[in-house]
Amino acid sequence: MENKLKGYKGKSINFLKKKSIEIWDIVQITTDRTLLEGILMPRSEYSAPDFIEIKLENNYNVGINVSEIKNIKKIGKREAHYKFPEKEFPYNKNVPKVQMLGTGGTVASRLDYTTGAVIPSFTPSELYSSVPELAEICNLDCEIVFEILSENMKSEYWQKLAEKILQAIESGFNGVIIGHGTDTMSFTSAALSFMLKDLSIPVVLTGSQRSSDRPSSDAALNLINAAVVATSDIAEVVVTMLGSPSHDYGLIHRGTLVRKMHSSVRNTFRTIDDIPIGMVKDRKIKTFYDNYRKRSTTETTINTNFEKKVALVYFYPGMEKDIVDFYIDKGYKGIVFAGTGLGHVSTDIYDSIERAIQDNITLLMTTQTIHGFVGMNVYSTGRELQDLGVIPGRNLLPEVGYIKLGWVLGQTKDPKEIKNLLMSNIAGEFIEREIPIAFNYNIDELLRNNKL
Amino acid sequence: MDNFDYEELGLKCGLEIHQQLDTETKLFCRCPSTLQGTRTPDFTTKRYMRPVLGEMGTFDKAMLTEYKKGKTIIYEGYNDVICTYELDDTPPFSCNDEARNIALQIALLLNANIIEEMHVSRKNYLDGSVPCGFQRTMILGTDGYIQLNNDKKVRIDILSLEEEAARRIKTENKTNYYRLDRLGIPLVEVTTKPDINTPEECRECAERIGLLLWITNVKKVLGSIRQDINVSIKSGTRIEIKGVQKLSWIPLLINQEISRQLHLVEIREELKKRKINEDNLPQEPVDLTNILAKSKSKFISNGIKSGKKVYGFNFKGFKDIFGKELMENYRFGTEVSSKVKVISGLKGIIHSDEKLENYNFSKDDVKNVKDKLDSKEGDCFVLILGSVKELNKASDIIIDRIELAFKGVPPETRKALENGTTEFLRELHGGARLYPDTDSQAIMNTDEEIKKIQNNLPNYPWEIIENYAIKYNIEESSVKELIFEGKLTLFESLIEIYPKKPSIVINTLLNKAKAIKREGKEIENVTDEDYKKIFLELKNKKIGKEAIDDIMRLKADSPNLTIEQSIEKLNLESLSLEDLKSLIGEVINKNLNLVIEREMKSMSPLMGEVMKEVRGKIDGQIVSNELKKQLTNKLKEMK
Repeated sequence: MENKLKGYKGKSINFLKKKSIEIWDIVQITTDRTLLEGILMPRSEYSAPDFIEIKLENNYNVGINVSEIKNIKKIGKREAHYKFPEKEFPYNKNVPKVQMLGTGGTVASRLDYTTGAVIPSFTPSELYSSVPELAEICNLDCEIVFEILSENMKSEYWQKLAEKILQAIESGFNGVIIGHGTDTMSFTSAALSFMLKDLSIPVVLTGSQRSSDRPSSDAALNLINAAVVATSDIAEVVVTMLGSPSHDYGLIHRGTLVRKMHSSVRNTFRTIDDIPIGMVKDRKIKTFYDNYRKRSTTETTINTNFEKKVALVYFYPGMEKDIVDFYIDKGYKGIVFAGTGLGHVSTDIYDSIERAIQDNITLLMTTQTIHGFVGMNVYSTGRELQDLGVIPGRNLLPEVGYIKLGWVLGQTKDPKEIKNLLMSNIAGEFIEREIPIAFNYNIDELLRNNKL
Repeated sequence: MDNFDYEELGLKCGLEIHQQLDTETKLFCRCPSTLQGTRTPDFTTKRYMRPVLGEMGTFDKAMLTEYKKGKTIIYEGYNDVICTYELDDTPPFSCNDEARNIALQIALLLNANIIEEMHVSRKNYLDGSVPCGFQRTMILGTDGYIQLNNDKKVRIDILSLEEEAARRIKTENKTNYYRLDRLGIPLVEVTTKPDINTPEECRECAERIGLLLWITNVKKVLGSIRQDINVSIKSGTRIEIKGVQKLSWIPLLINQEISRQLHLVEIREELKKRKINEDNLPQEPVDLTNILAKSKSKFISNGIKSGKKVYGFNFKGFKDIFGKELMENYRFGTEVSSKVKVISGLKGIIHSDEKLENYNFSKDDVKNVKDKLDSKEGDCFVLILGSVKELNKASDIIIDRIELAFKGVPPETRKALENGTTEFLRELHGGARLYPDTDSQAIMNTDEEIKKIQNNLPNYPWEIIENYAIKYNIEESSVKELIFEGKLTLFESLIEIYPKKPSIVINTLLNKAKAIKREGKEIENVTDEDYKKIFLELKNKKIGKEAIDDIMRLKADSPNLTIEQSIEKLNLESLSLEDLKSLIGEVINKNLNLVIEREMKSMSPLMGEVMKEVRGKIDGQIVSNELKKQLTNKLKEMK
């Protein structure tokens, strides 16, 4: 019974139970003022307790206070007769084979008009129905690896994805597209960058900032762009998403230098400390540099070990050393600090930092300015922290620092080797030099002035 | 045509009226709710819209038609008054309470049942008029009514509160340009039940709803109210006519639509009588480019020279069908060609029910075409000229529309044109495009709010009209005009300042303002505050009523002047009674002969002479009284 009254509580659930009315029943409701007819809808569990919600014949939903209801009568039930269109993804021998892996983001989803819920749609035929252009670019094979909200992502899922990518390579796919929620997309792209060694084909993460159930969605264009990149010669883990608020071009971001920089705009992803690898527009790729890894026949291997006991700590003025003590006491193996400016934390927590080092915990410093290098030789604080044993993380983004430390600690327990690995450029996460436009490049403007 | 028996036809009309509310900010974001006129935009953003699958796993036909147009959309915006919400780049903010309160007031005036817990829905639009592809809308009231003059109650189905769409600027090279300033302005939509049974009743109902809306806090400018009519007759179908700009168009539009539907039904019956059915229709067009390459028709041969092609169809047994008049100056051929134009962009079709000589076709041209198409006496052939892509699209639309002729009246949305006819706009939207908004939570209209508004409801406009006409001794039509000019509140404050002569206030606000506008002056520069100042000066006898026009004109031309400065500039500094007295004395003495000759009858010419000197500087009534006094004294004196 509970499930048949999903979301109802307080007066409304008792009322409906008493009247033996369930969700999807068509009801006629009489109040002092009016007569309403509609389908009883499921309700969000966070909504007001004393109301029932019906969908009127004109498809509008309204909520009615049960204390106003003089009479309610069940007059029918709405049969669920929803079906997907059956359209087979056509095989085209002239285009490459691409494996699409689903993780549960909104890139490929559709709408249940009754509830307004977004249902993931993922079979090749469903994708073909909504984005038929894909068939002109590649032969698509789809697999749902898991279905989670992107904030619930964790290392087990990154490991699973890495294995699936290896399988795809071994089965002869020419590229992989990963549909991913945008919130943690850059964590996944960084993790895969470290876990996949000698990558031979493109691995492209994409998603959408506006879900595909709305006509203005960026999902279709992002998918088309991702398919183009997946069939290109860029054999790296990259993120491909729109590069401007317009539905115009997508940018190709290196998996270890990319970050979601806005909570909602379409062009939220930016390459940090450098310009993107290139762009994709009208199904053509233009690279800005030639410094990317090319498609090859080398054997790709995976190394997915990952230390979960790593924390990312955002320093703030007034932070007490208990914070660090907590991680020490909980048996953490590594802490990444997002420090201020050039890589600083308050002298008030030095004691705990010292204690952590003595406990063989690896401490890595990144900067909360996001852009730029840490510079721990400039001020005495930086020098002292280094002296205590904190490792400067160069230009690492805090999140990438977290992924890198987790991965490195998954590889070795030897302090010297840990330091060695942390200081080497494993997956393009370090830049050699920061070009001056890296901080505030505007791709639209650079294109307009032919500077790319 | 106008002698229809509406009862026998089973005429049913309903109205949908959209009205912008006059709020500070927009419905779901805090951008100012003001249009930017012709100001140059700061930025543009390009977008494409894709149809989304409907509830039943199919695409809404209207959405597919829109998608087939293959339009690019360019949004134009301003950095200071547009935010990322309007660009569909940020989720909605809370619902504007000011807008909700105005809508509640309207709903209560319409005797509606208020929805206590509102849920925001999305209504899909693919033409680009809303950047997210849907309009956010919610039902606020149901089940109301509006009473007509003869006491008939037209039921109000729903009242919804929703967002205004973006402003369409132009369409160029398959690109629709929209300006975002209008997007998101709060709007109420009032929908009646199809209770209206005559065209005149429809006009009256639209007028009453309009008046009711305009006594509340709504935007009162051109374009802030829009009317759509639904028209159906028993033998036809429901047709939605959008964009009815003037109340006076309504009866004509309905009569024309009845005519169109009746004639389409006649065509269906005629085709039945001729024993033609859909299976006889051509499936594919025939390429006539080679045959007509050397046509005497320059229109055709030049078109071919420029790379276009000519396609033809023969419709068996269709003679005189394309030529049949459906409405004034609108034949079945027009019906087909306007649909082709709207969807494919291809302009004009040629059919054999037309005078082909008008296109300069030679007899040979016609014979060749007929031979190639196997077109016999009693058939009708159709020619179209354009690029292959356009022609293919147009061919589908033509065949599709002819198939529909066998069914009678296809349900669709049409656009009202100024001459009272209509043209195809789009397929009628199905219900599948309305679904819950996943970005917003339920919005409450609490009992306390409703009670508070209920206790402060204004009088109905028709009551106001009647009361004011009696109270101020003015015409009812003037009060109605004040409401539709958005000047009722101003009238009320002016009458408080200057209660002596309401007719002067009416004359100023309606006739004078209109006359000055007709002169091409920017009458909008005379603000409500200016009017109040003018009437205050009038009350204080600083100026005469004759000066009002000149002040308004000057202010219209120089908006930066204050009323005081305007008066000064016009040299209208008022005349003291003493000065007036001595001036009148002078004029009388100068015209003594006239006074002796005509005695009191000299009053009128003397008045003219005095007024020449003092017009606008002092009230004419005072002048007249003083003149009369002095004249009488003078005559007494002389006797």
